[in-house]
Amino acid sequence: MSLALVIPVRDDQERLNRLLHQAAQSGVFDQVVICDDGSQDPVTIDREIGLGNRVTLLRHKQSQGPGIARNRALAKVRTTHMLYFDSDDCLTGELPLLWQDLQGEDFDFCLFRHHDSRNDRWGQMPIDNALWRRAGAGPASLFEPDRAALLALAQTANYPWNKIYRTGFLRDHKLQCAEVPLHEDIPLHWQSFLQAERVLASDRVAAVHFVQDSGQRMTNQSGAERLCVFEPLGTVAESLADSGNTGLTMAFFDFTSGLLDWVRAALDPLLRDVMDHRTGTFLKTHLAPGIFDRIARTDPVLALRLVLQMAGRRAPC
Amino acid sequence: MDNIALGPDAQANHTLAVLRGDTMDGTLGKNVEFLPGLTLRADPALDLQGTWRSPPGRLLELEAAPGAPGDWIGLHLTLPLADLAGIGSVGFAARASASKTTVLRACFRSGVGRGFVDTFFDKQLLLRPEEASHVDVLAPRMRADMPERAPWRELIFFLPTEAFRIALIDLRVFAV
Repeated sequence: MSLALVIPVRDDQERLNRLLHQAAQSGVFDQVVICDDGSQDPVTIDREIGLGNRVTLLRHKQSQGPGIARNRALAKVRTTHMLYFDSDDCLTGELPLLWQDLQGEDFDFCLFRHHDSRNDRWGQMPIDNALWRRAGAGPASLFEPDRAALLALAQTANYPWNKIYRTGFLRDHKLQCAEVPLHEDIPLHWQSFLQAERVLASDRVAAVHFVQDSGQRMTNQSGAERLCVFEPLGTVAESLADSGNTGLTMAFFDFTSGLLDWVRAALDPLLRDVMDHRTGTFLKTHLAPGIFDRIARTDPVLALRLVLQMAGRRAPC
Repeated sequence: MDNIALGPDAQANHTLAVLRGDTMDGTLGKNVEFLPGLTLRADPALDLQGTWRSPPGRLLELEAAPGAPGDWIGLHLTLPLADLAGIGSVGFAARASASKTTVLRACFRSGVGRGFVDTFFDKQLLLRPEEASHVDVLAPRMRADMPERAPWRELIFFLPTEAFRIALIDLRVFAV
């Protein structure tokens, strides 16, 4: 087994250096693929970091977004397994231990816990903690979630950097990020859960995710680019409809309802009427009556929220 | 692997370091020795069953399923602290989690004659599904129930007597 670290980066040399130092010190990466997505000053690799010839550096002359950057980098991965990471995030000492635990395991991807800088205590955001609790399989440094647990874990934040993937799994199923400016990780996340034959999970906190409260980071975008969320959501909804996987489809619409509320709250208020209209249209198009009936029987509160969203009205908190 | 650290807490911390650095697993029963100096002992009436695992970098993950009612399950760590003279504080720092909110109690046990006396730490350990840290300390001079000299000592964590899943991620002891 060999492991690659895949990092899209744009104008973030300092924090990329921090991550590369960590990657070198961890001793677990056989390859590091960096895709410089149009940095004003092209990214350079300091030889003293100690990664030697394990670094593959790609460059976009103009920014094309993190989705395209990740997809292009994936094509250059030569290892059996890989981990996407953001340049401003950090590895923890738990990652090498997790990798040690995974040796000899046959899996499509392994989901692990992370620390979110917005949280006031060590660990994930409360909503993700609640989903891990609902999954109910821990505490365990490595376990195979059952079907019910997977449906809960699928609803955790759709990050690409909290999973170690088998590279062949991604390639065999053509699993990629959406090539949109934001929310590009939604199809990768959901289609991974849809296609995987064996998922492992670990309660090890192996990544630290930093969210800046302000600035130009993608997380803080509140303009019309946020409306691109419907494109990756539509891609997933169509895949799920074709699959006939009712449980995962219901979980997806639970996640989607919450995400659309979050996007609405993050949007410029002037765009909220457009958002409400598109939300209604999206749900009317993709939420099949049979799925809605199942949701209404098993989770009436979610059903009510979806009805309000379909009507273009804001769901009550 | 030899311990070259000195001090009254060094041997216990060495035992814990060996377990953290190794990968082992096994089944639970009324008396399980994970390593010399670290043992799980259960009331035989419990008919304790289950599994344990020591994954890379962690001490213990325990999944226990008592087959019948019973009174106690203890995780015992031997502390070579025969003489507490000059020791101002005895304590531990732990990181742990559990599948559901779980409360544990810890005590410092001193051998007395053919029996023993338990000195309980003031705080309870609150374990949650998310790993959390816990630190507690005893001041021997302020505890009348803590004999200054004893032929043997143990740090004991009393575990639930119903089915549980607990991860003792890390544990360090100190006597300073």
